[in-house]
Amino acid sequence: MSDFLGDITGDFIIPIVILVALLLAGAWSTWLERRILAWWQDRLGPNRVGPFGLLQVVADMIKIFTKEDWIPPFADKVLFVIAPMIVMIMMMLGFAIIPFAPGIQIAHFDNGLLFLLAISSLSVYSIMLAGFSSNSKYALLGAMRTAAQMLSYEVFMGLAIMGIVIVADSFSLSKIVEAQADMWFIIAQPLGFFLFLFAGIAESHRAPFDLPEAETEIVAGFHTEYASMKFGMFFIGEYLGVILISALITTLYFGGWQGPWLPPLLWFILKTSFFVLFFILLRAAIPRPRYDQLMAFGWYILLPLALLNLLVTAAWQLAPTL
Amino acid sequence: MIEVLFFIAAAVALISAAMTVTAHNAVHGLLYLVVTMLAISLIFFLLGSPFAAALQVIVYAGAIMVLFIFVTMMLHQGEKSLLEEKQLFQISGSIGAFLLSAVLLVELVYVLAGFASPQLINGSEGYFTIQTITVKELGIQLYGPYQLLVVIAAMMLLSALISAIHIARRQKNPMQADEEGDQTL
Amino acid sequence: MPQEQPPQDSVENNHAEQLPELFALLSRDKYTVQKTADDTLTLWVTANTLLPTLSLLKSLRQPFAMLFDLFGVDERLRLDKNTLPCKDFTVVYQLLSVERNQHIRLKVALDKDDLHINSITDLWPNANWYERECWDLFGIVFDGHPTLRRILLPPTFKGHPLRKEFPCRATEKDPFTIDEQKLAKEQEALRFVPEDWGMATSSADNDYMFLNLGPNHPSVHGVFRVALQLDGERVVDSVPDIGYHHRGAEKIAERQTWHGFIPYTDRIDYLGGVMNNFPYVLALEQLAGIEVSDRVKCIRVMMSECFRILSHMLFFGTFAQDVGQLSPIFYLFVDREKLFGIIEAITGARMHPSWFRIGGVAQDLPKGWDKMMREFTDYFPKRLDEYEVMVMQNSILKKRSIGIGKYDTNQALDWGITGAGLRATGCDYDLRKKKPYSGYENYDFEVPLDDQGDAYARTRVRVEEMRQSIRIIRQCVDNMPQGPYKADHPSTTPPMNHQSKHDIETLIQHFLNVSWGTVMPKGETTFAVEATKGINSYTMISDGTGTSYRTRIRTPSFAHLQMIPPMAKGLMIADLITIIASIDFVMADVDR
Repeated sequence: MSDFLGDITGDFIIPIVILVALLLAGAWSTWLERRILAWWQDRLGPNRVGPFGLLQVVADMIKIFTKEDWIPPFADKVLFVIAPMIVMIMMMLGFAIIPFAPGIQIAHFDNGLLFLLAISSLSVYSIMLAGFSSNSKYALLGAMRTAAQMLSYEVFMGLAIMGIVIVADSFSLSKIVEAQADMWFIIAQPLGFFLFLFAGIAESHRAPFDLPEAETEIVAGFHTEYASMKFGMFFIGEYLGVILISALITTLYFGGWQGPWLPPLLWFILKTSFFVLFFILLRAAIPRPRYDQLMAFGWYILLPLALLNLLVTAAWQLAPTL
Repeated sequence: MIEVLFFIAAAVALISAAMTVTAHNAVHGLLYLVVTMLAISLIFFLLGSPFAAALQVIVYAGAIMVLFIFVTMMLHQGEKSLLEEKQLFQISGSIGAFLLSAVLLVELVYVLAGFASPQLINGSEGYFTIQTITVKELGIQLYGPYQLLVVIAAMMLLSALISAIHIARRQKNPMQADEEGDQTL
Repeated sequence: MPQEQPPQDSVENNHAEQLPELFALLSRDKYTVQKTADDTLTLWVTANTLLPTLSLLKSLRQPFAMLFDLFGVDERLRLDKNTLPCKDFTVVYQLLSVERNQHIRLKVALDKDDLHINSITDLWPNANWYERECWDLFGIVFDGHPTLRRILLPPTFKGHPLRKEFPCRATEKDPFTIDEQKLAKEQEALRFVPEDWGMATSSADNDYMFLNLGPNHPSVHGVFRVALQLDGERVVDSVPDIGYHHRGAEKIAERQTWHGFIPYTDRIDYLGGVMNNFPYVLALEQLAGIEVSDRVKCIRVMMSECFRILSHMLFFGTFAQDVGQLSPIFYLFVDREKLFGIIEAITGARMHPSWFRIGGVAQDLPKGWDKMMREFTDYFPKRLDEYEVMVMQNSILKKRSIGIGKYDTNQALDWGITGAGLRATGCDYDLRKKKPYSGYENYDFEVPLDDQGDAYARTRVRVEEMRQSIRIIRQCVDNMPQGPYKADHPSTTPPMNHQSKHDIETLIQHFLNVSWGTVMPKGETTFAVEATKGINSYTMISDGTGTSYRTRIRTPSFAHLQMIPPMAKGLMIADLITIIASIDFVMADVDR
């Protein structure tokens, strides 16, 4: 009986709790971003609905759900509807392998990192399909930029992660966290961390690498034609992406849930929030490079560095065996 | 449980493969191909090779197909080309392909018939014992007995890379001339 | 038209000495010299001699390199018509020589049955839009113009609105309606057809994509469309399409009183506030011969410099934002708010105070204005230093803007670029120094220059200009002279209270001056000031009535926008956005 209860908790309750928590976190991080950006920019931000404007998210949700669910007559209707779903699904799937705390993990997957790369490579489709199905030139330009940007930065992300795999000797995220009991991998892999950070920003297409939706250039890029809940899904998907990348940075380079005094889950949330804030700070501070500058930065600077990092790490790891 | 998953994945793979060929809209066709890739990846996974499964998704579905779709998107599909596609697809013109696929199908059914028999699934004997191959084992195999193949593959990729760069290099591109001209306006 | 002998007047003699080549050429044909209130050499030439004259002026040793303005005048109802060698229509060419620091005005009279004149687009590329505008508004055909079509008005428009027979008010016509059919027609007329502009739809390798950037786009600063011919993200060619913000300010000027038009000027460059009133009232004061007190001059300079800072602040913020930096615009808006608070305390309004008057300003400065102004001049330079670190020293922004949209002084002059866009190429031409007005010669300030001529240089020059403006404002605050805030002149509108409430005579004068408006003496003048975005000039033609006969508003943005295609050629969309941001224009200033 207790086994059965345990199974129920492990298989259903924890995933559901995690997913709901994530959705809420994704929604409220929009509020957080708006408030914090406003604070940094000498403004007030949403402060009218509920205490500190916390219920602004609810108001936005009501608005976004009750808006006309408009599909442009010139769009490829099926793909147009599927595209925002893909981003949500992929981002949620990505969280399945994150070890939030000991025992709080949806899938104990030995090849967790590979799964993650697979997920991130598939999430390109959401933006590409949105750009294609909108049948609009701005959306198409956004999709063009996305395809190039995300494909390239996935390479650097994968190469950066391989350094971690070599050091931790595993693809499993929970094992990677456990391997950091004595030393965070940021110390062992400082270069890898920066590479992963850059690739992460580009993968979640956040400012300053938000070229797929650069509003001053191509209006809103791939989601120019989107409105109502379908736009909302892109929106929440983007914030889930930010949280996912922050959670990954925490897990891979900052010891995951490990930390003294406080409970592991709290450590994990604190560290992740720190990086979410860092993402917001980046958006407030830095202008956007040009599309070709971003690509050149990736291929001319990040790629050689990533290869170098991999080489040095492997050599370091193999040196004692020689 | 695994059989059920396998058959579902296989069915998805077959149906989407068929749809790949029959879809009139090139992008739709390619998307069905992506689904085929994903289904195949699941089959790899079920058969005990998570690494092959992940690579199937990352490389084929996540990178190569993205480029395919990217290029197809650029080639602006209008109503006109859709109609042309429709006229192109005729049963009479595809008899050869159908015959060849039928041979493959027979082969597949034969293999599957063996696979589906209970004693094989239980893993006591036969050719399909499911045994998970870890990445480590795979790596040892690749850099051990198959070292030569890896090196040859690497050299082929390198030469492909170099020729790709060569083709992509813009020689006497009119745009570039414009750019230089632009300095003097 | 009698041929005049070489002019007798001393001023004209002077001109003749300066420009012997010109008068040698002109003496072969008929020409007339017209005396104007601004003492600009104004010559009536025949249509045949126009082209040789212009090319001579452009090829002189110290050339008249810039086509400063080109506009039409409908002379048919002009009361003092018989005193001039004019026919039914006149095309006016105003040239500027930076080296000589001199303007010259050529006029060509046209008969209404033969409204044809040679295009000068071969001489000056920026004549293109000016001639299109002239055709659009007057129906004067410029032979040899490559794309003579409507520019300010929609392609479906009927008539030429600046002609005198065209009604001034919409209420003189049937109410405007639009039905489905008409809507479809208008929509179709807006479709961009590449072939109309001589663009190929495909090259040897690929098809081009045509993108309508605008009229509603986040970074076109208003309603402005650029049709782009794209190869991937690279701009092969572009066609700016303006006119969405056209309100017919020049036509409105012909029905308002001289005084009543002041608020309309505020809304030309809607970020310039009283800076727009400046050339208008100065032109009228020149026409009427009003001499204002030093206090008025100082107040006007101070307020104008405030608006220069306000406009540059917005430019600076939006420039950073268009390059993708989100925050500076908010900081600058906070600082703008502070300065607007002072503007509001002094004028009672914020963005459009309409505060200058013919012969003065609306009110005297309020108590405590100097304290507020001092606080701001102490506060803002420190903030500006911080913004400069944040924006101008940012390496990504530098990479995005250095070398982008580059042109040199000669190109700038060819295209009629003035203001910071010209000074960023190293050309030291600032009217505040070169032709000081309103007492600018008494202030100690520098004209910031750069020699790169790219988007970054234009921004840098403007940031430096804000510092110089602060310097000028400080001097205004420290040395504000005492005196009346309005001139003691019958044309001063409205007259000072103490001159109007004495007896029936002064009361009548006040009453008529305010209700019917003042009357300006006959004459013509052009007054140019160094406005926020470049040289803004008002050409006023009065035939001695209570309203203007013709008001020509030469705005800097109009000329600047025309240069987008050569600047953006071969660059990427993101660069085009940087270029557009670095031009610093507002659409009301373009379309008027």
